[in-house]
Amino acid sequence: MSDTQHNLDVIQKWFASVIMHPEGVDGGVESEQAQRVIRMSRDQLEQVVARSKNLTAAERMGIYANAYYARLLEVMRESFPVMARALGAETFDAFAFGYLQSFPSRSYTLDHLADHFVKFLQQTRPDDEDAAWADFLIDLARLEQTIAEVFDGPGIEKTGAVTIDQLMAVDPERWAEARLEPVVCLRLLKFSYPVNAYWSAARKTPEDEPLDLPAAADEYVAITRRNYIVRRLSLTAEQFALLSALAAGQTVGEAIESAAAASTMSDDELAGQLGAWFRLWASEQVFTRIMV
Amino acid sequence: MTDSGNQPRLGYPNLGLGVGLRTVHFQHVLERQPDVDWFEIISENFIDSQGRPRHVLDQIAERYPIVMHGVSMSIGSTDPLNIPYLHKLKKLAGEINARWISDHLCWTGVAGVNSHDLLPMPLNEQSLQHVIDRIHIVQDVLERPLVLENPSSYVTFTDSTMDEWEFITRMSEATDCGLLLDVNNVYVSAFNHDLDPEQFIRGLPHERIVQFHLAGHSNYVTHLIDTHDGHVIDPVWRLYALAHELTGGVSTLLEWDAKIPPFEELHAEVLKAKRFMKEHLVPAGADAEPHDPAIETRQSADWVPHPLHHVKPDVE
Repeated sequence: MSDTQHNLDVIQKWFASVIMHPEGVDGGVESEQAQRVIRMSRDQLEQVVARSKNLTAAERMGIYANAYYARLLEVMRESFPVMARALGAETFDAFAFGYLQSFPSRSYTLDHLADHFVKFLQQTRPDDEDAAWADFLIDLARLEQTIAEVFDGPGIEKTGAVTIDQLMAVDPERWAEARLEPVVCLRLLKFSYPVNAYWSAARKTPEDEPLDLPAAADEYVAITRRNYIVRRLSLTAEQFALLSALAAGQTVGEAIESAAAASTMSDDELAGQLGAWFRLWASEQVFTRIMV
Repeated sequence: MTDSGNQPRLGYPNLGLGVGLRTVHFQHVLERQPDVDWFEIISENFIDSQGRPRHVLDQIAERYPIVMHGVSMSIGSTDPLNIPYLHKLKKLAGEINARWISDHLCWTGVAGVNSHDLLPMPLNEQSLQHVIDRIHIVQDVLERPLVLENPSSYVTFTDSTMDEWEFITRMSEATDCGLLLDVNNVYVSAFNHDLDPEQFIRGLPHERIVQFHLAGHSNYVTHLIDTHDGHVIDPVWRLYALAHELTGGVSTLLEWDAKIPPFEELHAEVLKAKRFMKEHLVPAGADAEPHDPAIETRQSADWVPHPLHHVKPDVE
């Protein structure tokens, strides 16, 4: 036992500062944060942590220090598998390592570990115009983050969705005034790179085969869930505008006008598509309620 | 609280031989309905789930006894207890008829940051009283005895004044909490701290042990790491036989969290426990820690000690 026992709070704050330090135990012991709690040099470490027959105190603490980042980096790689593949493990880990220092976990669950990753990527995006790849990565991270949220978030498996028959049963005279409430698991995403197509390609391509980075191009995607499986629906710009307007609470008539404004189609062309779109979305269980 | 502390296993049943429920086995368990006695879940993977994990759990809980095992209670931390988290545990336990709720004698973070590791406690009067006070609060919220596990540890503190088994004994006597004896953790910690694992197990209050854990670990020659990525080694089975004899037998569960094998292999591993429930069946030459030269060359980034519990989404 040491001559003077440390308060438990002191020990814990010191220990956490040391094992979470990005430069490992040596850097951690001498860090400002650790020194504020227990002032000591590296040589004095064994005044707090005992050595074993085989390992020094620093080596023993190193087990926790290595595990801290190894564990969380593994979770980050699992949370963003296609982004990790696009970057390569080493480069992805460098991003994630920086992120974990800026946004350490404050939740009891690892499911929230990556909650701020997209924000971190946006905040640290290089300013130069040649860094278009950064926008691709941010889009890819948004897609993968959304998939994870929808997978285990609220869904409609127990409450059901609006069917095609229910849509068809709406009085045509009142259709333009109707409002369609989207299902709770619907997310509408606009990307500046075709990351959803890239994500699909990554799943179909063996891990050891390279994937070409796509050229910039707008892509619109709806993420939803059916029977507990996440679904990714490719959308046109018009479909995205229409669904976004409905999700914002506009009537069907107003939403169609929004779609027309976003479209290069003629009004007749657009009108000719609408029936098929609504039938498709009903089959994909996109709406939860019709309000007429 | 009840006077359940006077009864063996706090009055909890011996559920038999179970395995940890992991997502890779969801489909197998649902379709094959294997003849396993019970499942243990990682509480944090389900208390907030509104998707497939919870949907699958509800179906499995209809057929099998479920025990909830958490990794984030942080009973030893000096941060305030997370009361909403405790209420979520209690709610799920009620909904799936969890037989008991367990976590670890450790802290996982401080100052609001969670390391997601099971960090070691200094073992002294101050930390003992701190843990006792918090167990009382947890048990009041949960309205049932908490069951606490001895974690694997890799450091000891110069501030410690008592052995781990003394700390655990006094903690459980003061709170009437139950104990989850992780036999592999005893072996790992004893090796790392130059202790006798048999002395550890003999020093515990055996009537308060509700459950055993078994798992594999990794040998780095100078130290052991609790990786949950392989078979249970013979010296750990020998300790299990001792613990079984001292307790009269309690619910036994195998954990396997990395390089997870097909369900049949996982189940077969825990069924080996039957061999060690009868005395005198210890394999010959089982005293030495197996030495795999391939293991010691592994770099630190190759392993991640327990716990690593993260659910991957199903996507079309």
